[in-house]
Amino acid sequence: MNELSLVLIGIFIPLFPLSMIFNSVFAKVKNVGIRLLLLLAWPLTGIALLDHLGINIPDWIVTWSLFTALLYAIRLLTIREISLWTSFIASSAWALLWISLQGADDFSRAYFYAISFSLPLALLILLSDQLTQRFGAAYVGLYGGLAQTQPRLSGVLVMVILAVVATPIFPAFFALMHTIIAAIPGSLGTAISVGIVWLLWSWGGARVINGLIVGPAKHVDYPDITLLQVWNYWGVLLGLFALSIFFVGASL
Amino acid sequence: MEKFIVLLPLIPLVAAIVTHLGSSKLGKQVVSISVRGGILNFLIAVVLLVLMLSGNLSGQVSLGPDWGILLADPLSILMALVIAGISAIVRLYSVRYMIEEPGYARFFVLLDLMTASLFIMVCAGDLISLLVAWHLIGVLLYFLLGYDTRSFSAFRYAFWTLFTYRIGDLAMLLAAGFLYHAYGTWSLPVIFAGLSENASEHVYFGFALPDIVGSLLAIAALARSAQFLLHTWLPYSMGGPTPVSALMHAGIVNAGGFLINRFAPVFVNTTDVLHWLFAIGLVTAVVGSILMLTQNDIKKALGYSTMGQMGFMIMECGVGAFSLAIYHLIAHGMFKGTLFLRAGSIINEARKEDGVPKEDLYTFVIERRPERKRQPWLLMAAITLIIPLVILVLAHWAVSQDYFQKQGALVLLFFGWVTGAQLIFATFRMGAQNIWRLISLIVFSFAIVVLGYSMVSHAFDLFLYPDPGFRSQIYAAADIDVFWFDVLVGLVAVITVIGWLARYYSEKHQSIMAKKIGKLWISVYAMISREFYLNDLYAWLARTILNTANKLNIWLRWR
Repeated sequence: MNELSLVLIGIFIPLFPLSMIFNSVFAKVKNVGIRLLLLLAWPLTGIALLDHLGINIPDWIVTWSLFTALLYAIRLLTIREISLWTSFIASSAWALLWISLQGADDFSRAYFYAISFSLPLALLILLSDQLTQRFGAAYVGLYGGLAQTQPRLSGVLVMVILAVVATPIFPAFFALMHTIIAAIPGSLGTAISVGIVWLLWSWGGARVINGLIVGPAKHVDYPDITLLQVWNYWGVLLGLFALSIFFVGASL
Repeated sequence: MEKFIVLLPLIPLVAAIVTHLGSSKLGKQVVSISVRGGILNFLIAVVLLVLMLSGNLSGQVSLGPDWGILLADPLSILMALVIAGISAIVRLYSVRYMIEEPGYARFFVLLDLMTASLFIMVCAGDLISLLVAWHLIGVLLYFLLGYDTRSFSAFRYAFWTLFTYRIGDLAMLLAAGFLYHAYGTWSLPVIFAGLSENASEHVYFGFALPDIVGSLLAIAALARSAQFLLHTWLPYSMGGPTPVSALMHAGIVNAGGFLINRFAPVFVNTTDVLHWLFAIGLVTAVVGSILMLTQNDIKKALGYSTMGQMGFMIMECGVGAFSLAIYHLIAHGMFKGTLFLRAGSIINEARKEDGVPKEDLYTFVIERRPERKRQPWLLMAAITLIIPLVILVLAHWAVSQDYFQKQGALVLLFFGWVTGAQLIFATFRMGAQNIWRLISLIVFSFAIVVLGYSMVSHAFDLFLYPDPGFRSQIYAAADIDVFWFDVLVGLVAVITVIGWLARYYSEKHQSIMAKKIGKLWISVYAMISREFYLNDLYAWLARTILNTANKLNIWLRWR
């Protein structure tokens, strides 16, 4: 029964190949609002289920989750379509939640971590929509040179990608740091694997930045995003920074 | 008084925000905020150093109970002064140098953010602040190196830098994790106090905590300071603007030496980590120097020169001369920064006038007129080998009589002796008309440099590590078995002398040597010119991972 329940939860806190369900649903849904809802609610549902059922997480689940996180981290390196990239990095990041959840008495921390991973992804989906509106597709390497033609959009895009790939000052970094610390006494291999996942995210993030914003200016008919939109994005990013301070202040 | 230390990162942070927000209204004038902020930072750093030297500054400022701590200790204040000085000069220089570039204000915003991160790094009194600053420096350097957003190659090499730094960041993150797990706090002073009480209290996976943490911190330092196998990004990161190269080579790559000094209480309790550091530093110094000599691109040559210097700095840490490494990184920062910042104007001036001074000394050294009568070789050999040794021993004896009891100090003396002998040996080959005048000039300069170096490094030792017991502990941690030490010194001495003899023989019998080792030499040269094929290896690895990722995506139908 417990195993079956864990498999069910593995749909929401990704375990490959169950993770493919989320990626398929996310690819099918085109509405931005529903995508945002999926990104925010999917992992929280998994944690809530686990919390409700009160099942102990066996070691093999942690190994499986690490495999899932590594698999998606490697696979996202060659993904060019931004929404697919978003769903892959979400699968990779959420899979790491299993490590923090193992042996945890209080799940509130896990909810925070899930939000830390999901909020920047939600911003990325909004930006992906902006790109689609302008160029017909949010696709790395298709147009490039955005820094020249759309400096505001580029600036926000860079900051959001930094938040997604768990750069310090953003809460995903502290969530990742805690995951590593939680893994250290039991298994150095797990801690190093989490670190490698993080390394691969950075690589993937840099490939997206290079493919979108770098390059000579090309003719673009559409205007840049407005100053108000910029401030909205910055507002959320500052909120994420505040969440980081809260994390650290609450001793993680 | 210690509260003033908050101003160090706060001023550039505020300057960055104001520069960004004010750039649309003030135009290019906005950068004056950044420049003034830089000068103010420098003045504050000077005042803090004066207060520290007069004994009126100590303690810490903190945001939380064990995080957000800024330390006011000799290491942080000294490093803050260096950073403040170099970044102020770089900003002043950039005002005119970058004025024609698009994104002028953005450049200064990035410089300010980098300066703030550097200040937080050197003053950090807790693991969280240190981790955040350490990581941010890598990220900001990525954007500074890729400042020209039109250039694909600049971003490609900026990414190499970021990725290498990430490897070091990961090691540092793990080290922080171990320390936090062992002591339950982020505060460095509390962790160091715990270590000094009982260093072998915590054991993980069969290893003592200092050994694990020391090894991980060493990896972080090696990645940051471009040590062998993690060095390939350095010579290729010249695509960024010249002020960035200056800041990077004068400040950022030196962070490895700083990190080792900051965690000195960890390293003194390690068993073999310092020996490994010495070996890696030695290999890096040799490889960096060889690669520098074979470059035909001046910027890449400068990059490899930095690599060699960083190798020497890590070597100094490996022999326990921690404070000497700090002195080295400051001295290297000064001269490398000057080289980069002056390079452009020197090339410009040289186009108009060769700039060769028509002085007696210059013509004496450069316009060689070989002496008719050759001096006895035995006398010359004695001068070559004995004079540098006498100067080195006397200079070090003058500053500290117990200096010769430390193995690390003897290693450094040995290197100094080889360098001095090499210098005088090279002097003979210059073939001056008045060889005695040339030798006396060289010996005098050597004596001044050695004496100055010894005195300043001794002063650094006293300032950074005032506790004589701890100073001895650092050197003791770097010691090896006396028998093996003597064997190694003897071996290196023999290799050095054989090298000199081989060089002498090859010059005297060029045609015979050319036949004997011609083909071998060409193969070696090809390998060196391809930078030991390391870049090719890494590129192949990256391609393999990307191809694997592609195949996986196809097999799994992109889900």
